[in-house]
Amino acid sequence: MELIEAVGLHKHYSSGEAEVKALDGVDLSIEKGSFAVLSGRSGSGKTTLLNMVGTLDSPDVGELSIAGEDVLALSRGERAAFRLAHIGFVFQAYNLIRVLSARENVAYVLQLQGTSAKERLEIADQWLEEVGLKGLEHRRPDQLSGGQQQRIAVARALATHPDIVLADEPTANLDSHTGEALIALMRRLNKERGMTFLIASHDPVVINAARQLYTMQDGKVVRLELR
Amino acid sequence: MNPSRRFSILDKLSIYLRLGSRNLWLHPARTLLTMGALVIGIAALTFLSALNDGWLQNMRENFVLTETGHIQIHAKGFQESQQISDAIKDPTALIQAVDRVADVRAWTSRVSTSGLASAAGANAGALIIGIDVVREPKVSRFREFLHAGEWMKSNDPRALMLGTVLAEKLEVGLGDKVVLMAQTPSGDLASEVFRVRGLLQSGVMDIDNMMVMIPLETAQQWLDLNHGVTNIVIRTDSFELVDSVAAGLKQELQVGAAVEKLEILRWMEIDPMAQQWTEMADVYTWIVLAIVIIVVLAEVLNTMLMSMHDRIREFGLMGALGTQGSQLFAMMIWETVILVSVGGLLGYGLGAWIGYYYSVHGLDLTAFATAFSFMYMSPVVYPVLSIESAVRIIGAAIVGAALAGIYPAWKASKLDPVEAMREL
Repeated sequence: MELIEAVGLHKHYSSGEAEVKALDGVDLSIEKGSFAVLSGRSGSGKTTLLNMVGTLDSPDVGELSIAGEDVLALSRGERAAFRLAHIGFVFQAYNLIRVLSARENVAYVLQLQGTSAKERLEIADQWLEEVGLKGLEHRRPDQLSGGQQQRIAVARALATHPDIVLADEPTANLDSHTGEALIALMRRLNKERGMTFLIASHDPVVINAARQLYTMQDGKVVRLELR
Repeated sequence: MNPSRRFSILDKLSIYLRLGSRNLWLHPARTLLTMGALVIGIAALTFLSALNDGWLQNMRENFVLTETGHIQIHAKGFQESQQISDAIKDPTALIQAVDRVADVRAWTSRVSTSGLASAAGANAGALIIGIDVVREPKVSRFREFLHAGEWMKSNDPRALMLGTVLAEKLEVGLGDKVVLMAQTPSGDLASEVFRVRGLLQSGVMDIDNMMVMIPLETAQQWLDLNHGVTNIVIRTDSFELVDSVAAGLKQELQVGAAVEKLEILRWMEIDPMAQQWTEMADVYTWIVLAIVIIVVLAEVLNTMLMSMHDRIREFGLMGALGTQGSQLFAMMIWETVILVSVGGLLGYGLGAWIGYYYSVHGLDLTAFATAFSFMYMSPVVYPVLSIESAVRIIGAAIVGAALAGIYPAWKASKLDPVEAMREL
């Protein structure tokens, strides 16, 4: 069974008098353990599709199930609970809560889930070590580099053991070396732990790492390349 | 690394408190400014409230102790008519009953009527009171108002004391003669000559301008009352005991149905003015409280709205991560409550400290003594800090904080994560 199954997703926006087809009949199937990348130019619909898979946005028409759940039938509150239980996010920027330390940022989602204080801090420390940030647990975001902040975001995304991690242009604000290191980390976690990643990016480093590469253009998936 | 799920309200609350307190310190200048306004506002409110309570207590005590007493017993109809014909003919059994009631600190009898005071130079209307010269000082403050001369003696039946303003009108001084004229119960006019033994100055217009005091026995004989009196004035140990003493008197006087022929009135029923002053002062306190709370909370609302707008992206992120709208709402409310609780408690502490200082040393407003005495107030005010006012002020601040927090909290809870994260 597919982890993500999207059929005929349409999303149209009005921009002045013009109608923009952000998604124009997208079908998507992602298996558990995939390392999939959505590529394409700006405005091709990558982020819109990612937001839909992340239950942050809804299509005008189409079907979408994640982990066997018809997510389009869920209410706003149920979607939030679904995201907390099933989805990890890594955003391009403004990824972290600025008043919380690295450790607290990772522990935040666990606290929302009701994990005990002792346990969530242990888990947060383990994941921060896993992403190479041991010793920086008590630093706040403004005391860390962009690459380190993205690593914290990865640790937070993985700490709840989600079914899938969604990343939107995770390397866009990083230098090439740091971007490569971040993608290598994600790839390693995918290989070693079998975690599923769906990444929207036009960064060649990310595209090269993809095992399933979806190319988008004008709101459609125009090509699927399996590697 | 699989997390176990446990539910703990306190644990969930801890994230709100941590985020709330840290977010407040993201902009220390803004937070301190708002908190400063809160501290000053609540401190001023606390002190004003304590001052007001002190004034009220002082005014009530002065009013009661000056003249009225806590409770009065009259013959039925006297309160309305104020006629000497409505006197208690024989108060002996009544006085014995008063003596049997618990918590009566002291009592005295009076004959009270209106009449005309004349001297060689002039004449004027007067409120004539026959007092028990021994018992009266245990119930009222008349003796404290003695400005010149001496308190009447029991062996001086023609002694008279009068207010200083009335004395000026009559152009009399100590030792001078004054002729009093009043109606007897049968309607005849009776007159009697007295010598001025004392002058009273209270600041209360009724006393200084109108009052004439003579010995009770003289008044009874002169006005053909035999042993009759118009008022039995009772002082209890405290205001809190007034109702129970009044009830005790009614119960005691049920025997022989004497109560049917009497009226037992509490101080606020004797002269509703004092009660109205108290109620008016209470209304004033609530108005001041409302104004201060509104002003302070407008500041809090402004701060919280700015804080909310500063963090729209963060709220979007939280929502995307799975934070429920209700949790974002609670987060903002807690942040507001933290701000107001800290400011409110500091403000109350400051106001209470100032109030306590003046409750010990007194706030001297002697410059306004005349105005104060007119309102039965002492010129030195001692603020009173009460649990009731503390609960009222802090409670109002917390409730107001919750109200001020509702709008920004509601806005935060309704944010669309994607839109919020796009905000510049």
